[in-house]
Amino acid sequence: MTKQIELIGIQKHYGGFHALKDIDLTIPQGQFVALVGPSGCGKSTLLRSIAGLERITSGEMRIAGVDVRDLPPRKRDLAMVFQSYALYPHMSVRDNLTYALRLKGVSKAERAKAADKVAGIIGLENLLDRKPRELSGGQRQRVAMGRAIIREPKAFLFDEPLSNLDAALRVRMRKEVRGLHERIGATSVYVTHDQIEAMTMADHVVVLQAGRIEQQGPPMELYDKPANRFVAGFIGSPAMNFVDGVVGEDGRSVTLSMPGTPVVRVATQTAPGRAVTVGLRPEHLIVGPPDADGAIQARIGAVEPTGSTTYLFTEGAPELLITTEGTARHRAGDAIGLTIAPQRVHLFDPQRGSALAP
Amino acid sequence: MRRVLQSMRDGIGFDTMLVILTLSYLLVFAGLPLIYNVVISFQTVDVFSLGTLMHPSAGVENYVDIFEDRQAETVLRNTIIFTLGSVALQFTLGFALALFFHQNFTGATWIRGLFLAGWVMPGLVVGVLWNWLLSGDFGVVNYVLDGLGLIDEPVFWRSNPETSLYSVLIANVWYGTPFNMILLAVGLSQIPEDLYEAAELDGANAFQRFWTITLPMMRATIGAVIALGTIFTLQQFDLFAAITQGGPAGSSTVAQYWSWELSFREFDFGRGAVISVLMIIVVLIVSLIYVRSTKAETQL
Repeated sequence: MTKQIELIGIQKHYGGFHALKDIDLTIPQGQFVALVGPSGCGKSTLLRSIAGLERITSGEMRIAGVDVRDLPPRKRDLAMVFQSYALYPHMSVRDNLTYALRLKGVSKAERAKAADKVAGIIGLENLLDRKPRELSGGQRQRVAMGRAIIREPKAFLFDEPLSNLDAALRVRMRKEVRGLHERIGATSVYVTHDQIEAMTMADHVVVLQAGRIEQQGPPMELYDKPANRFVAGFIGSPAMNFVDGVVGEDGRSVTLSMPGTPVVRVATQTAPGRAVTVGLRPEHLIVGPPDADGAIQARIGAVEPTGSTTYLFTEGAPELLITTEGTARHRAGDAIGLTIAPQRVHLFDPQRGSALAP
Repeated sequence: MRRVLQSMRDGIGFDTMLVILTLSYLLVFAGLPLIYNVVISFQTVDVFSLGTLMHPSAGVENYVDIFEDRQAETVLRNTIIFTLGSVALQFTLGFALALFFHQNFTGATWIRGLFLAGWVMPGLVVGVLWNWLLSGDFGVVNYVLDGLGLIDEPVFWRSNPETSLYSVLIANVWYGTPFNMILLAVGLSQIPEDLYEAAELDGANAFQRFWTITLPMMRATIGAVIALGTIFTLQQFDLFAAITQGGPAGSSTVAQYWSWELSFREFDFGRGAVISVLMIIVVLIVSLIYVRSTKAETQL
């Protein structure tokens, strides 16, 4: 597969602030890549650097094989969808869509044809003569995407495009953006702080923190094999439980530092006596009777039903969160036993946070 | 009585009072003089009849006199040159400066603030200042032009009928440019930065971004600045009084100065009022354009 976007050793400094640290990222043609991380992690800076709106301090940057480091944004042939949509308020939807073509000197008749075609794709046929202020949030979002599609650029850049929409619309647009990507097949880089958006839409997820890539890979790989404690805690909702523990004599079990010092079996062979951080996903903990063999003994502190899922919080410290499907059979104060499959227990180095390989 | 007081405190009474106060102020100090001005433009008013409220009617005689006056043509031409020239140059320079300071280099806000120093000065002071600068034998302007080799002998800016109007025009451009700059700078700062970024990614170069984003987005501001600039220029009196007094030989007389001369030099208040009335009509038209342009403001 050809490499559409190639970033090698990208560094970005703002004065004394090191915003991007040694970013290596290769995006094959046609792939949908999500950059995800907490606010201030550098994901938007990275996207804006690819667009050319920010200058990188050092490193190599190639788009479709061309070195673009010194190219201004207008010569990079990329289309961007902004969080604010950045529609031109003084132009009709049609003029917004065809602005780039007008600059390229495409004839009026051909522009009108292109606008009609794109309007068909994004479902805005009846709104071409409206001004942006007469559109709803979702419609503006579509115009912004249409403006990107019409140009047939080398890649699409999305800067948190769904964060201004309400929850229901966001879920629908998520599917639409993904569907559009599949139909057009263009390379896309999508910035979001919402890990669910990243997981559901992307082929390849890049998790950033403090300007550094913590891990990148297919969504399920990040979920199943997080490279470190940060990724483990960031990917997956609700977040993973972390408990300190010590590896047992056999190297195949861990004694947790919590009341009752329960022992869980793990699939990872590690040095006996080693201190570890144990990661337990809320959805992987199975609630059973308190006297079950090898179970973590606990007492329910709080129950939060959401309808489809029920959140159970254990009493005492460290507090564990367990999710169970359906409505709750449990009530606060109930004694329970928690079990987990050995291959679903994650172990991390307590100091460095890196995952201990199975 | 209690109900009235209560309405003053909680109801619409207070609002009504504020409206009445403002309206009566406008009526007494702006409306009545304006109407009275129109009335006396149709009357014969001299020093002797000035003290009475009503004066002998003159019909349209004052208007005919003004249009037949041999000075009328010069004054009209001067007024047009002075107004169009001032507004065009003030706007162009103001816009250029606003764009320059919009680049946000270190100290931009400070230096932009300093530019306002010229605008807050009284017109007469600015006039005196430019008298010195434009002075024929020891003026800085002549010195610089001479140093650059552009002139061989000193130009007597204020006493040469060819240049007298332009000496006031130059001073007025200097005086009005900061105001244009500030209003246009406000307009520029209201254009969201991401529009420029979107345009840049869409392939627009700096000139295309200015032409397709900045200018159309600034339409309302530009309309307001030009309308206000025209009104202020038509009101400009101090600079004429300080620099040329309309001379030499009426070569730099504009409408507003002529009106003052007729009224307070020749004590022919009727003819002075005629010019005021004609100017009110022009200002009204400009104001209408201004109101329309602020109404059609570009909304996001």
